Amino acid sequence: MKLSLAIFGLIVMVIGAVASGALFTVTEKNQVIVLQFGNPQKVVVKPGLYFKMPFIQDLVYYDRRILDLDPPFEQLTLKDKKRINVDTYARYRIVDPLAFFTSARTEVGFLNNFGQILNGSVRNEMGKHPLVNLLSKKRDDIMELIQARASKAAKRFGVKVVDVRIGRTDLPEEISKNVYERMRSERIQEANELRAEGDEKKIEIMSNADRQKTVILAEANKTSQILRGEGEASKTSILGNAHNTGKEFFDFSRSLEAMRKGLNSEDTSLILSPDSEFFRFFTNPMGREKMRK
Amino acid sequence: MAWNPQGGGQGPWGGGGGSGPTGPQPPDIEEMLRRGQERFRTLMPGGMKTGRGIMLIVVALIGIWLASGFYRVDAAQQGVILLFGKHVKSSGPGLHWYFPTPIGTVFTPDVEKVQRTDIGFRGGSARSAKRNVSEESLMLTSDQNIVDLDFSVQWKVKNAGDFLFKIRGPEATVKRAAESAMREVIGQTSLQLALTTGRAEIETRMRILLQKILDSYKSGILVTEVKLQAADPPQAVIDAFNEVQRARQDGDRKVNEAKAYLNKIVPTARGQAAKMIQDATAYKERLVKDAEGEAQRFLSVYKSFKSNEAVARQRLYLETMEDILGGATKVIMDGKGSSGVVPYLPLPELKKRSAGGK
Repeated sequence: MKLSLAIFGLIVMVIGAVASGALFTVTEKNQVIVLQFGNPQKVVVKPGLYFKMPFIQDLVYYDRRILDLDPPFEQLTLKDKKRINVDTYARYRIVDPLAFFTSARTEVGFLNNFGQILNGSVRNEMGKHPLVNLLSKKRDDIMELIQARASKAAKRFGVKVVDVRIGRTDLPEEISKNVYERMRSERIQEANELRAEGDEKKIEIMSNADRQKTVILAEANKTSQILRGEGEASKTSILGNAHNTGKEFFDFSRSLEAMRKGLNSEDTSLILSPDSEFFRFFTNPMGREKMRK
Repeated sequence: MAWNPQGGGQGPWGGGGGSGPTGPQPPDIEEMLRRGQERFRTLMPGGMKTGRGIMLIVVALIGIWLASGFYRVDAAQQGVILLFGKHVKSSGPGLHWYFPTPIGTVFTPDVEKVQRTDIGFRGGSARSAKRNVSEESLMLTSDQNIVDLDFSVQWKVKNAGDFLFKIRGPEATVKRAAESAMREVIGQTSLQLALTTGRAEIETRMRILLQKILDSYKSGILVTEVKLQAADPPQAVIDAFNEVQRARQDGDRKVNEAKAYLNKIVPTARGQAAKMIQDATAYKERLVKDAEGEAQRFLSVYKSFKSNEAVARQRLYLETMEDILGGATKVIMDGKGSSGVVPYLPLPELKKRSAGGK
């Protein structure tokens, strides 16, 4: 009884050990190289449950997903001698695990090797362009060229470069200082221009106002002169018409009126002769005419 | 590499999986079993039925293992089920069962929840103050200026399978791709546009470009929105930009002053003009009326004068002379009596007298 139980236990243990050594799963996320005494035997890419020789065969797992590669900032000189800090990143996939195993062995090994290659491609490709190109539609082309370069280099590692992108492109401090200086002076210039334009408009509007005022007043003056003239003309013609009907009477009455107005004041001194018409009754109550007769 | 030089004749690759004993060592196992049996014996008073007891325990263990296959998928989640690592099916919200590890694996990623990735700043919620991260937010514009741009990307899982199995670190990738895409978009936008009217266009172009990049990675991510939180000139030159604002206001103020001047002076002039014309019209009317009156008066007088001319003439003459002589200083000289002699007339004295007599 005791012995049979021990044997049963032993069998379970052995089966367990063999099963765990012989069975392995490949998930959606990874891919596996089966090694026999260190030599690659086969590559398993499809997910599922697989069998291997326990103790003899060993496994190397690689990621099957798209992986990230973020090398550190790189300072480089562009064609127009501008120095910039470029941060590129790549996304890649291990498509040939065997090549990857022989050339890089681990991801860290790959990153050490390929990071420099990528930076070299970036440096080479971007060195051919001035900064303006990075700030235009050409940026896309540059990235594609870098990707092509990197892809070529990555083939050796069994890696497909999915994408290379330029991330941050910052100007080094001394150059950003220049840029800031330029931006500032441009703004100050704009500010001065805005103020001057304000002055311009102000003067224009004010002188326009003055002009309008002068013209309005001159126009009014003209009209009023015409009106006054019309009035004076009407007066002359109206009176003339009236006076024409009694010319002699006008002469007589107007002379009398003029005399009255011209002579009728306190300091008028008159030396009169009693022979004048006014005095015809002065010496003779019968009147001069009668006296003469 | 699990290179195992020890372990005798086991070979170099001694069980890389790590589970299970690497080298079976019979003495140890026997001892373990023996101890186990002793424990069972103490647990079960029957003693005799050890075999059945073990079976019972095994069944119980299997039951517990099977029970661990229940899993719950929340309303916003999707269940992604793997059989031996292979994606076999997906399940919607609810309580489900599938083979537990190591046969089956279940992932339950959030597919409805909208995630937010902030670039250029951190925080900014109700709890924490917004903090600028200038190395993320400063970027070059097409006219080689620098703009300080904060934005956030809202995204959710479009395809749970891709999201889980096609890309490593999708969240970090969203951020890196967004940084790159925004620099590409801004690199083709002028500073003025980025600061003012170009925002909506930047957001749209950015969303399309970022989606394109993420699709090329088969990330299974849907970019729902790209939102520009702030677009400012860099801190170092913000004073100059404010100066422009001030200048613009100064300019506007000057124009307004001038308009006020215009609005004051022109109507006043119009008023003055109206007054001048009214005055002139009044003058004209007055002259005409006066003249008409005078003419009428003249005609009336003339008419009556005409009907009685001799007497009227005499009367008018005498009345006038009366008026003239009534107020004047008079000297009457008879020319006959003083012929040959120039008569002395003390005119100034006469004047004085008449003034003094008054």
